[in-house]
Amino acid sequence: MVNDLIIIEGCAKHDRRSQQLLYDKYSRFLLGICMRYAEDKAEAEDILQDSFLKIFFSIKDFSGTGSFAGWLRKVAVNTAITHYHKNLKHRYHIDIEEYVSAETGISSFEESFYTSEELYIVMNELPAGYRMVFNLYAIEGYKHKEIAEMLGIDTNTSKSQYSRAKAVLRDKLDKLGKLKKSY
Amino acid sequence: MNVRELFRNKLENSEVIPGDSVRGELMRKLAVKEFMSFNPARFNIFYLGGVAAVALVSVLIMTSRPTTNKTLKEHTIIENNKTPDTISFTEPQKQPSAEKKSMPISQVVNITERKLSTGSETKISIKNIDSKVINSKDEITPAIKTDSFKIKAIYQDEVSDKNKQATLQRTIGAAFDVSVSGGCSPLKVKFLNRSISYDSCRWVFGDGGFSNEKNPEWIFDQEGEYKIILKVFNTDGNQAIASSTITVHPRPVARFEMTPEKPVIPDDEIRFMNYSIDAVKYKWEFGDGDYSNSFEPDHKYRIYNNYNIRLIAWSQYGCSDSMLVKNAFSGSGCFIDFPNAFIPGSGGPVGGYYSIRSDEAARIFHPSTSGVTDYHLRIFSKLGIPIFESNDINMGWDGYLKGQLCEPGVYIWKVRGTYKNGEPFVKMGDVTLLKE
Repeated sequence: MVNDLIIIEGCAKHDRRSQQLLYDKYSRFLLGICMRYAEDKAEAEDILQDSFLKIFFSIKDFSGTGSFAGWLRKVAVNTAITHYHKNLKHRYHIDIEEYVSAETGISSFEESFYTSEELYIVMNELPAGYRMVFNLYAIEGYKHKEIAEMLGIDTNTSKSQYSRAKAVLRDKLDKLGKLKKSY
Repeated sequence: MNVRELFRNKLENSEVIPGDSVRGELMRKLAVKEFMSFNPARFNIFYLGGVAAVALVSVLIMTSRPTTNKTLKEHTIIENNKTPDTISFTEPQKQPSAEKKSMPISQVVNITERKLSTGSETKISIKNIDSKVINSKDEITPAIKTDSFKIKAIYQDEVSDKNKQATLQRTIGAAFDVSVSGGCSPLKVKFLNRSISYDSCRWVFGDGGFSNEKNPEWIFDQEGEYKIILKVFNTDGNQAIASSTITVHPRPVARFEMTPEKPVIPDDEIRFMNYSIDAVKYKWEFGDGDYSNSFEPDHKYRIYNNYNIRLIAWSQYGCSDSMLVKNAFSGSGCFIDFPNAFIPGSGGPVGGYYSIRSDEAARIFHPSTSGVTDYHLRIFSKLGIPIFESNDINMGWDGYLKGQLCEPGVYIWKVRGTYKNGEPFVKMGDVTLLKE
């Protein structure tokens, strides 16, 4: 495995071979992140491509201190947010039924019971706004105040969307669980 | 483990393998982006070549702009340097306008006789190029084909008794016909050049386009009034100009949506919402043979099918556009839903066959469906004992088991099957058996 630093240096000089190495090494990791922010794999791959373009063009700004993977993750998340804003106008449909999901059912989940593919699918089905907030808060670990700034929404909106997202996810996981057990 | 922990643990660092095409596409985008952003590190011969090509093209575009400041005389009659003032050549005919679909031009030259400044009568004899003598009051109708036509006028001045001569070159004339003078965009117009005595021509179409062809075709894709200008030139250095106007009407845009988006056919009445632009008249084809000319019609389909729905919209100028939605209800029409209660009759088992009309009193537990091809329903008691089973979608449960009416209460149902679009479904739920 080639050292990250050599790849980074090569990419800074726009060396095609280094760029390909970087892609080969990190594309799966970054697509794993993009998948959480997208509606489907095709959209995730779009975000992935845009992320890589950003990475290749701003890799000279990477300070070298701190984790490279962490920096890549940040670029991907920011690209996903840009993408969300860009597509916002197409997404005025939010299923009404999602709102009324009550906080019922089991609230404890077995980690080994669900595969990550299933979790991605459940995540993809969330309304886009919920998905952004849930990802940024629950997985990326941003504060509601930061999320509010990133998405251009109110802090309270972020909070309430997060709790609704949780409720919807819980509901979907419940249903999925029942379906899986019945087979 | 709660939802947050579940997702965080499973997905924070999970990897997904991108599709095969992603890498190639990325590299293409990268190459384009790097090319567009000037970067000395990648400055090479290709870059230089690209820049040179762009520069060349822009220079070409700049230089080929039509020169517009030249003033043109519409009709130039060139006489030789010493024209006697006894002869004047006038052209009574105006430039034929293209819109009038003019007759072929016969260039008529009237020759009038005037007195010389001395007051004496002048004898004039006029010859055309063929030296044929024509009378002074005759009209000369030159053949259109002879571009080099010249009129030579010879007259005798009684005072000086000398023959003088004046030469008249045939006047260059610009005129053209159009195949249509107006219509809906995009409008294709054929131009027919009917100019005379010219060697080259230049068309300016008023939308920024131009042509040097003799009889060009042009497509106007934007609405508007376009002034068409034809300039003709001949080698003698003369030019003439003709113009006409083409009116291009906007094409309307036919757009509609349906509500509800996922209707239950035949139960739901579909409302069509019309978002057409610039239109005044409409025709809706619902795909089941019915039509409507309303602005926003409602329509009820009698049976479920994949209908093609078309809206044709016409503007006030008669321009039309249409929008076709193919298989408007595909997929969306497939569903299966069960009620949560039913009331079996107490008069004994009736069998489970039902139809939507016959079971208005909810005597039989059965689903409401659309687009179901494969179907398997099972009903259990609360203790999990199988009570009823059916593979026939027309066969519901009448609430009886072995001739006995089951106890009122909650029963569990489970159904699996396939929709006709191939999608499988599994559903379960409970139903309350109510006492009559």
